[in-house]
Amino acid sequence: MNINKYLDVINACRFCFMCRHLSAVGNVTFKEADTPRGRALILDKVRMDNSLIANADYIKTIYDADLSAACRRHCVSHYDENSLLLAARQDIVAAGLAPPSVAALARDLQNVDFQVRGAGEILYYIDTYSQRQMQLVEAFDGIAGNVATISGGDTGKALKILGFVNEAREVAAKFAAAVSTSGARTLVTSCPASYDALKHDFPIDGVTVLHSSEFLLQRGLKAKAATTACYLDSDFLKAYNNMAAPRELLLALGYKLKQFATNDEESFSAGEGAAVYDRVNPKLTAKLCERICDLVDVERDLLITSSPYTLHVLKTFRPQLNIISIEQAACRALEA
Amino acid sequence: MLSSSKSYAYEMLLSELTWAVGEDYVQTGDSDKLGHSIDYYWVPEVWHDRGRQLTPPDFIIQPGSSQEVAAVLKIANNYSIPVTPWGGGSGSQGGALPIRGGIILDMKRMNRVLDIDTVSLSATVEVGINAQHLEWAIEKAGYSTMHFPASIACATLGGFIAHRGTGVLSTKYGKMEDMVMSLEVVTPQGEIINTLPVPRHASGPDLTQLFLGSEGTLGVVTKATIKIHPIPQSRKFHAFLFRTMHDAMLAGSRIMTSRLRPCVIRLYDEPETAKLVKRVLGIDKKGAYLVFGFDGQEKIVDLEMEEACDICSSFDHEDLGAEMGQTWWNNRYKFFYPPYMFHMPQAFGTLDTVATFANIENVYWAMKNVVEQNFPQATFIGHFSHWYEWGCMLYARFIIDNPPADANEAVALYNKIWDMAIRAAIKAGGVINEHHGVGLKLGRIMKDLYGPAFKILQDIKQTLDPNNIMNPGKMGFKG
Ligand SMILES: Cc1cc2nc3c(=O)[nH]c(=O)nc-3n(C[C@H](O)[C@H](O)[C@H](O)COP(=O)(O)OP(=O)(O)OC[C@H]3O[C@@H](n4cnc5c(N)ncnc54)[C@H](O)[C@@H]3O)c2cc1C
Ligand code: SF4
Repeated sequence: MNINKYLDVINACRFCFMCRHLSAVGNVTFKEADTPRGRALILDKVRMDNSLIANADYIKTIYDADLSAACRRHCVSHYDENSLLLAARQDIVAAGLAPPSVAALARDLQNVDFQVRGAGEILYYIDTYSQRQMQLVEAFDGIAGNVATISGGDTGKALKILGFVNEAREVAAKFAAAVSTSGARTLVTSCPASYDALKHDFPIDGVTVLHSSEFLLQRGLKAKAATTACYLDSDFLKAYNNMAAPRELLLALGYKLKQFATNDEESFSAGEGAAVYDRVNPKLTAKLCERICDLVDVERDLLITSSPYTLHVLKTFRPQLNIISIEQAACRALEA
Repeated sequence: MLSSSKSYAYEMLLSELTWAVGEDYVQTGDSDKLGHSIDYYWVPEVWHDRGRQLTPPDFIIQPGSSQEVAAVLKIANNYSIPVTPWGGGSGSQGGALPIRGGIILDMKRMNRVLDIDTVSLSATVEVGINAQHLEWAIEKAGYSTMHFPASIACATLGGFIAHRGTGVLSTKYGKMEDMVMSLEVVTPQGEIINTLPVPRHASGPDLTQLFLGSEGTLGVVTKATIKIHPIPQSRKFHAFLFRTMHDAMLAGSRIMTSRLRPCVIRLYDEPETAKLVKRVLGIDKKGAYLVFGFDGQEKIVDLEMEEACDICSSFDHEDLGAEMGQTWWNNRYKFFYPPYMFHMPQAFGTLDTVATFANIENVYWAMKNVVEQNFPQATFIGHFSHWYEWGCMLYARFIIDNPPADANEAVALYNKIWDMAIRAAIKAGGVINEHHGVGLKLGRIMKDLYGPAFKILQDIKQTLDPNNIMNPGKMGFKG
């Protein structure tokens, strides 16, 4: 089983409570199972008796995980509970036990048709969540100036996160082929999950990957927005890639950044780390959104996010929320 | 445990509980049951590790209000179903384990900060709140709870109240029983009561103190008003190395009996200095490491610090300076993360004991001798953690690297060490214990510890909980 590669994590986390306060899903379900300790105990049982991988309740818990990696980031020894969970999902899929809704979603995610539009050194990838929020893409376009684009599906990251690693590789290969035909040397994306995929899971030879915030920061943009805002960090940028660019960009644009909620350790991405959490777990996504909305003054606070996923789910959950993407924030500041 | 999860009675009870709290908040799945079968007590951990069957609850109920807690307790009373409150499950004494099955009342959903009184400096909160979340919320308002236990990230305020918990800064800011002003409690029969709103009064015995430390056996604590404090202008640390633990103890006790007000003092014996202080803090020295800190107005902090350093300098010492004191503070929780914390397959126990300065060293030697002479396979280390005007707490530990493979044998050995060490500590003037509580682990010691006075506790339990539904079998009360 793939989980056996992470015995160190199982052994460390199964009796450890030290990061439970950062389990985003645990903080809305209040369940012991929805913490690194709870999940490691389950997988320890599965390790001892492999047939338990078929336990429907255990499978549900493994797919309920939000994978924010806040716990790994907090842990003084950085035990990688996220990778343990991904291995468990892989084992579930390999055993043909993926929940029907997950299997259907996986089939859907394999349905890709990548199209490149335009040409040039720089290629902007329009991920599936940005595609549903074209105002974000237009904002990027407005600053970057008509760059070539690629769209037509997820890069394979979502499939990988759901445990469909072979299918993920196939989709990633199609994506890489489409990028290669464009001749671009720099691939920019607003989507942190795609950034992480192209940086670590499926890098493309000779192509540099940048998050849109890094790209805009490199342009040396300066403005005097003079607006106070809360920056909602992305799991993939913060906990997976330790990236400072979004905050640096907002500061360069003149935004005064205010701490969101009470701390900067928790994940307030509403499940971004699980890539398609809203499609796997609409009910839990709503709970995560509700917690974020409870912490914000809906009328007053301006929220800026570097994640199209987070923007989408929060806007869907509470349309009156004053939240914009980092590209829109840049546009506003430059126009002001 | 109920006779069968397929029985008619089970189904009826499930429906009744669901009606009381809503279907999202009644859990009966395997994932949740597993998580609630193991707390931070070594025995269920070893049971799990060796593939043994654990005792799960029948239902996990997540109440959202005091009224819902009351409704659940009334149902449980009606059918004589055991109810075990559960906070973060981080207790080390097995207190939250559902040893008779029945209902786990998981309090974490009751997590709201209800009021911050900036005139009196107090906060009223629902006690299911995670202690770190509480501290963050209070800090956001510009104050602090000053409760910094190593389990701040894991435990709930209710758990700390139930165990009379202690944070790192206890020497200045007190233990949980000093921090709490008043409580709301749901009695075992489902009545919601409040204790008096101030902690100092002459209106009879103090009910707040009765529920503090009752470990879920006398009712469910639902709300608390606690003191909060301004963020100090300055907090400084200093560390010394002493040739012997005895000298370090004299220095520490002199700091306290001279009535200086450190916020923390911690003294590690020579073996723990050599083992853990080196491993975790990277301070590689022979002797006994003593660290202390002061906080408040900078001028006063500097003055008190100077006085405390003068006291230490009168002994055979090495001055490690402020930086090695600050290093300890910065890494104070690191000791508790894997792999620094002791872990399976090791057997380990924290022989938490508290005593006066006159007795504390005798307690240390009594336990150390008993452990080392009778159990050569065990290592004994200790530090002195929470210091008061009259004495301090000994956080002693025994560690066995290779306990028996058989779970029963391992637990029998583990219990024997506890029995002998604890009884030796009590004989030497120690009290079991300072903050870990009694739970399942030490229930059998309560009669020895209290003598005839234990009957009073039993009578209180009987009066408040005639059907014995609340956490039966814990704290030495009947199961
Ligand atoms: C790594 C680590 C470090 C620790 N360090 C410290 C430390 O520095 N200081 C310290 O004091 N402790 C420490 N502990 C022990 C533990 O955190 C405390 O005992 C804490 O009080 C337990 O709180 P909990 O919410 O996890 O309670 P649980 O373990 O869930 O329950 C403990 C007991 O309280 C009862 N209970 C819980 N909530 C309620 C309620 N609302 N009403 C009535 N009864 C209730 C339960 O029934 C049980 O008997 C540590 C534990 C760990 C794992
Ligand atoms: S990730 Fe680290 S802190 Fe969290 S449970 Fe695992 S070992 Fe403990």
